[in-house]
Amino acid sequence: MTIAGARKGRPSIVQRLVGRAQARNLSCLIVPGPEVALAHGLDLAAAGMRIAATPRDAAVLVVIGALSRKLDEATAVLYAQMPRPRAVLVLGGPTPSSLPPADVSTDLSQAELIEATGRLQQALAEGAFTASPEDFDASVLQARIEYVCPMHPEVVEDEPGRCPKCGMDLVAREAGAESGATEGMSEHDHNHHHEHHQGHDHNHHDHDHDDGHQQGHAHEHARTEYVCPMHPQVVQDEPGSCPKCGMDLVARVVGADEGAAEMPLKHGDHHDHEHHEHERHQGHDHEHHHEHGQHKHDHGGHDHSGHDHGASGFMSMVEVTKDLPRSADGLAMDWIKVPFGPVFPGLPGGLRLTLTLDGDGVAEGQATSLVGMSAVTEEGAAETFVERLATAMALAPVSYRLLACRAIEQAAGLKEDPATARARACALERERIASHLGWLAQLGRQLSFVWLMRRATTLQLKTRCANREQLVAMRPALWALNVRLELTPLLKARLKGIGALPGGSHDFRGPVARAAGSAEDVRQADTIYRELGFEIRTGTTGGDAWGRLQQRLMEIMASLDLIEAGVDPGMPTLRDIGSTSGISEASVETPRGRAALRLTLEHGQVVSVELDTACSHHIGLVANLVEGRELGDALVAVGSLDLSPWEVIS
Amino acid sequence: MTIAAVLLALMVSAWLLAVIEAWLSTGRLRPVAPLLAGLSHLGRESLLPRKPDRLFFETAPVLLLVVAVLGAAVLPLAPGLVIADLATGALFVNAALAYVLVALIMAGWGPNGAYAMVGGWRFLGQLIAYAMLIVMPITAVAMRAESLLNTAIVASQASLWNIVYQPLGFVLFFIAAMALAFRAPFDLPTAPGELAGGVDAEYTGMRLAVLRLARLVLVITLATATTVFYLGGWHGPLLPPWAWSLIKTLTVAVSMLLAGHYLPRIREADLLSWCWKLGIPLALLNILIVGLMILVVP
Amino acid sequence: MFLQAFFVAVFGLAAIGFGVAVFRTASMVRSALALLFSQAAVGCMFLAMQSEFLGVLQIMMMATEMSIMAIFMVMFMMDPGGLGGMDMSHQKRFSIGAGVIAAGTAFAVALVSDWGPVTVEAPDAAMQARELGIEMLGRSMLIFETAAVTILTAMIAATAVAIPVHEPARNDGKDENDKEASR
Repeated sequence: MTIAGARKGRPSIVQRLVGRAQARNLSCLIVPGPEVALAHGLDLAAAGMRIAATPRDAAVLVVIGALSRKLDEATAVLYAQMPRPRAVLVLGGPTPSSLPPADVSTDLSQAELIEATGRLQQALAEGAFTASPEDFDASVLQARIEYVCPMHPEVVEDEPGRCPKCGMDLVAREAGAESGATEGMSEHDHNHHHEHHQGHDHNHHDHDHDDGHQQGHAHEHARTEYVCPMHPQVVQDEPGSCPKCGMDLVARVVGADEGAAEMPLKHGDHHDHEHHEHERHQGHDHEHHHEHGQHKHDHGGHDHSGHDHGASGFMSMVEVTKDLPRSADGLAMDWIKVPFGPVFPGLPGGLRLTLTLDGDGVAEGQATSLVGMSAVTEEGAAETFVERLATAMALAPVSYRLLACRAIEQAAGLKEDPATARARACALERERIASHLGWLAQLGRQLSFVWLMRRATTLQLKTRCANREQLVAMRPALWALNVRLELTPLLKARLKGIGALPGGSHDFRGPVARAAGSAEDVRQADTIYRELGFEIRTGTTGGDAWGRLQQRLMEIMASLDLIEAGVDPGMPTLRDIGSTSGISEASVETPRGRAALRLTLEHGQVVSVELDTACSHHIGLVANLVEGRELGDALVAVGSLDLSPWEVIS
Repeated sequence: MTIAAVLLALMVSAWLLAVIEAWLSTGRLRPVAPLLAGLSHLGRESLLPRKPDRLFFETAPVLLLVVAVLGAAVLPLAPGLVIADLATGALFVNAALAYVLVALIMAGWGPNGAYAMVGGWRFLGQLIAYAMLIVMPITAVAMRAESLLNTAIVASQASLWNIVYQPLGFVLFFIAAMALAFRAPFDLPTAPGELAGGVDAEYTGMRLAVLRLARLVLVITLATATTVFYLGGWHGPLLPPWAWSLIKTLTVAVSMLLAGHYLPRIREADLLSWCWKLGIPLALLNILIVGLMILVVP
Repeated sequence: MFLQAFFVAVFGLAAIGFGVAVFRTASMVRSALALLFSQAAVGCMFLAMQSEFLGVLQIMMMATEMSIMAIFMVMFMMDPGGLGGMDMSHQKRFSIGAGVIAAGTAFAVALVSDWGPVTVEAPDAAMQARELGIEMLGRSMLIFETAAVTILTAMIAATAVAIPVHEPARNDGKDENDKEASR
């Protein structure tokens, strides 16, 4: 029996030895991300796996739960980037459609995981090598080739040939190279998209458009003139030396009716496409070149065909860079559009951050969710709706279960039962503690702060299912964590002043808003909470990443106080609603902020819902927070928002 | 013979360090883990990224390993146990380690990937921060020994270790050495949470195995350098000299690891500004103090 | 003696080879690193010629200097990867002529000069370092200090000149305007 991602090789003694070594040294890449595993109570480290930061470093792809279509596609790219032998472990969901069948699949529980790891190790030890490995292929990896005219960007053909407008040979490029539609499928998509070339090209294109007709054959009308490299104002029709500095004049070609010195700068966007030259090595590499099909290398933005370059190919730096966007330091550098995520070690899984990098600085950026819930939800029974909503929100299932229950019961006209409400409130507070601890673990992962990562992970796993007594017993540990983080050197310097909310901003919620001093909390209006002694606490240190850290630490302790004053946490379950009808609007203070649900119930069936979550608002902040920041700071700023891509309503 | 002994010592220390590192991060002590990891790297595909600068991509891990070993070659582990006791030994360590930067620039540029490239250039940015803090404390050490011979430097500490004689220099050198080894909290070029491995990101299989080994050896070399320059080298009671060298080297290496374990990654801008505004004046002050002590104290 | 001459020749040829490579590649980083290895080979020549301190110093200094040059070239050049095949040469005839004349002069000086008697025994490396140090603190001090400050000034000035100031930075735009107003 061999694994689907086996490497080519005869099963010899050496291979068996290597296979065994690999089985005992498992590194895994978790899709959507480690924080989702933790939210489900899975501890992969305890199961004997090391969590790898990149697909290059991983031997096992661990897929948790069902994936959205976009994430499924991204996963295929990640899988293709893993070196063989590689295995797929699917936990609690169907095997993603673009992946080969899972080598081991099991349910979402720690015991099952440990058992599955054992099976996986056996499979790896025995079947890491095979004489005839299967090729991995997925539609998302295929790069479609299209042919464009170097002079007329609007001419795009599926087959090679000549341009109908100017008769030039068409050049090949990968489809989507310009549209950006498919870019950034994964963190490893090294999209050397040199933005400035693009910006530049567009100017030229416009130009070409304008005089396309007279100018179609710029070559024929072109004349050569001679300029001094040092003194652009020295222009002659004949070769010679510069009267000012004595340097030899260099030739350049100008279009007949084009006075500006733009011709030699032509960087056409016809990239040289040598994606067939993917190098084979060791004879084992059975991947096709489209393994990296998503990589688009527009590096060679300059067309070298000789059509566009002036006779000498000379370019003056001043001329070439004069129209480029400049960063704060005044340097005109290549801007590269780099995708971070959807599976990136420092960011929540499922979130894709696209940053335009200007050196180490971020020129601009935006975040999108690949796993966000769609706004329209089809109707269904009330129980199914509760389950579906809770499953969809992988990072805060209890909060959304509570929200759904509350809304449905309210629509059905049921009165709140104080005892149940208390248990539910305590369950919500417990999830808040767990969620904030999960965020701390994520912060540790982002900052390579191993101690924090491990400590917060341990505490989070303990908190998840603890009862009141156990939670109260954890108070010293949580308090120690609190004090420890306040005293950790470098941490404050790292977070202070990063990701401050833009002035005049509004409609932010949860810890993000409270850290900035806004008393935004639905728990204030809740009688149960008032009985438990809830009082709102807002940050005083300002709405930056450091303030958010302190706010979350404070809320962990505050939630613990509430639970201590309350009862054992009880999972919200939908009470019997019969076949009533009604309309309601409920809100819950989830760990990330207020979520509101407007819902119409007809004869016990949910017919229409409208969900409004904190993360949908916060994700819009990203562009503002990253702009002009250094890369590390930008990522810290995004991380400090504690975005849950699942809670982004598209 | 000496060469074999020194190389063996390097490999053993690197293995011990790897075991301790795995112990710190997983909480389990598995002596075979580094060997298994090495073996499984060798058994995996070594992929090439698309359109790499092949020359740089291939050279970088090897160059890193070579310079780390070259740096160790001039450091004495015991009397007579040194591959080459150069008359310019203290300077040579620095010269060899300067090529760590070159290797990382190659590793950053080679794979044709954004993460790696940012990582490589980041390390160059860091150089401006740490380079002076490597050279200037070594200057003060050489001043006390009145020689650049590493054996003479160890001999000069027979009565009093440099960590006591010039504690300021030790602190600065230790921090700069950590930055040069690009371990957390100075792991800016690799930065798992920011650059997904950075310069490491594109290496797999055999090449990754060489790179990982090179990084371990680099830490050992820097720890040995710290031992030789500040901790009295092989001096110590009871145990044989080589054992003292090993114990001290591992202690320094492990404390470097521990610092990364308990600290978040430093901000690049902070590192630069603290090194320039605080580190360099302090290093100059250290030279001044040591100079005064040499002249005044007999 | 023969071995020494052999190594000097090998490293000399390597230095020339890398030197040629500097101009044979369009990639800025390759070019800079080729220059680095050319200079490092010169450092190795020093080592082969028994001047240890100079050799080690040369090898050390070049690593950082050329790396810094590499990043400047990447920052300021439009096509740092050299994939666009941009031609950066000009005034070829003049430069060939200048190169030939300079090389001829260097050869002539090497052949014609009276180099004095061959030193039979070079002082040992420790002695060299000591003598070099004493020389550096003697009459050479002023020369080196001046050269160092000049180079630093030139570097800063060149960078300052290369960055246009007409487009004020976003953050401190106000300061820039104020400065311009005061001018």
